[in-house]
Amino acid sequence: MKKNVILLVEDDELDVISVQRSLKKLDQEYELHNAYNGVEALELLRGRKGHDGIIPDVILLDLNMPKMNGIEFLKELRKDEQLKDVKVFIMTTSGEETDRKEADQLGISGYLIKPLNFTDNRKRTDSLDAFFQFHIRKILAN
Amino acid sequence: MKLSTQILLGFSLIIVLSVVNSYVNYTLSQQVNQNSTFLTNSETIIRNSGRLNKSIIDMQSAFRGYLLTDDDDFLEPYYSSLKEIPTLFKEQSQLVQEYPVHRQRLDSIKVLHQEWIDYANSLISAKKKLGDKGDYETLFNTRFRKQFGQKLNNQISDKFREFDRYEYKVRQVRRETLSESISQTNTYSIIFLGVIICIGAISTIYIVRLISKRIAAMVNVAHNISNGNFVNVEDNQNDELTSLSTSLNIMSATLNKNIRELEKRNNELNQFAYVVSHDLKAPLRGIYNVTQWIEEDLQTELSPSLKRYLNIIPERIARMEGLIDGLLDYARIAREKPLKEYVDVNILVRDIVDDIVPKDTEISIGRLPGFATDKLRLEQVFSNLISNAVKYGSAEHPRIGIDCHELPKFYEFTVSDNGIGIDPGYHDKIFVIFQTLREKNAKESTGIGLAIVKKILDDQHCSIRVESEPGHGSSFIFTWNKN
Repeated sequence: MKKNVILLVEDDELDVISVQRSLKKLDQEYELHNAYNGVEALELLRGRKGHDGIIPDVILLDLNMPKMNGIEFLKELRKDEQLKDVKVFIMTTSGEETDRKEADQLGISGYLIKPLNFTDNRKRTDSLDAFFQFHIRKILAN
Repeated sequence: MKLSTQILLGFSLIIVLSVVNSYVNYTLSQQVNQNSTFLTNSETIIRNSGRLNKSIIDMQSAFRGYLLTDDDDFLEPYYSSLKEIPTLFKEQSQLVQEYPVHRQRLDSIKVLHQEWIDYANSLISAKKKLGDKGDYETLFNTRFRKQFGQKLNNQISDKFREFDRYEYKVRQVRRETLSESISQTNTYSIIFLGVIICIGAISTIYIVRLISKRIAAMVNVAHNISNGNFVNVEDNQNDELTSLSTSLNIMSATLNKNIRELEKRNNELNQFAYVVSHDLKAPLRGIYNVTQWIEEDLQTELSPSLKRYLNIIPERIARMEGLIDGLLDYARIAREKPLKEYVDVNILVRDIVDDIVPKDTEISIGRLPGFATDKLRLEQVFSNLISNAVKYGSAEHPRIGIDCHELPKFYEFTVSDNGIGIDPGYHDKIFVIFQTLREKNAKESTGIGLAIVKKILDDQHCSIRVESEPGHGSSFIFTWNKN
């Protein structure tokens, strides 16, 4: 059976590990690719230096990143014939309404606001776990 | 022109006018004096002239009496006058020394009189030597009968009349001059007095207006400055008050510049606190996460002491986070603009109590008002005070009371507890940022809460005080503007 492919676009190493640990808890088979910003993510998707591009089942996208931020990346993605239908989940610390609206207009499958206040770090991990249980598990299980 | 010069000029002018007035008065009074001396002189001359005339007439009567009666007794006044008259002539000629007309008349009287004496003497001596009868008869017939003496007498009388008439005329002139100079003196005095009063009044009014109007302008500016309104005073004169207002303007500008600078610095500081607080949180979160992961991954392999060490990390991180959040709140008070809305303080307090007060605490809430105010800040004040009441509350039967007392311009709120209380020596210290009376590892005590409360109240010119004794609970009483 073909493994589900996940692309994580996230610049913070800590969040990368957080996501990895939460995914592991789902106990599913998957192939995880990592990009640290929008530009890297597009290179991974479209292929470079003889490598083929990848077409992921799910993209987990941070909004606040250097070089190319999440919204810009999403716009590029939706313009691409091959990639425009990929499921995208936003994971951000930004509670800004404008970000949310823009993302919604570009078509997303889920929006997670990572709790900013980290006294609730327990909550943060829990909410990430719950989010993955609810949204990602189904996809990976197919 | 300098103000002091103007004042000096005004006074000098008045003084000069006074001096001139005095001088003119002095000169005029000299004139009056002189005229009155003239008058006195003239009276003496007339009197003397009368005496002289009378003496001469006495002599003439005595002479005629003697000739008619041949009685020697008649000759007594004749001889006494004969002795007296030269003295009178001498006196009179001294008095009229300066009047040539008088002198001339007096001289001719003297000559006529002398002529008459010669005539009279010749007749008397002729009569006395009666032996030579023919001589007296001759004389009597040729001279007395021919009215020789009478003619002389008439001439003398005429001269005296002329003399007196002239002197009366002179005296009239003198009298007129005297009264004229007196009235002139009066007129000049009144005019000068009027001019001095006018100049004095005008210069006083001018100076008072000049000074008071400009001082009022400066007082107004000073008042504005004290209200934080850094305006300038306009003054385009060129005197001491102008330099005062220039200094005032410089002061205003400097104050304005410094205040702006201070505001800028303050904003920068707030910005700085906000950014630092935000950025400080990220690495803390990393440390926290990694510690958790280590704990999760090595759960079975960790020794009890290592577990204990690992537990200290999140505790201290939580404290650090408390401090950072406190700083963020502190900075937020300055950053966020006050927003007025209707606040029912009963609901506001009830929500806070439900949120942070444990269920076993006895709560008593008095009648609280509802009014339009800055909800965020009032909420921060209450939540900090109530959370302190919880933190430092009684361990056994915790009780928290919230009450309000209405004053004309303020509401006075009280948040009290029956907890550990505060030593009066620390009542001021507790409002200073990062001052906590608890040991440093106590998680919930950051020393920012009351500093935030104080800052909010200070910004609105409200006050807070604490009434407390160790072991007898604390009451925090603060005022809050009604509008």
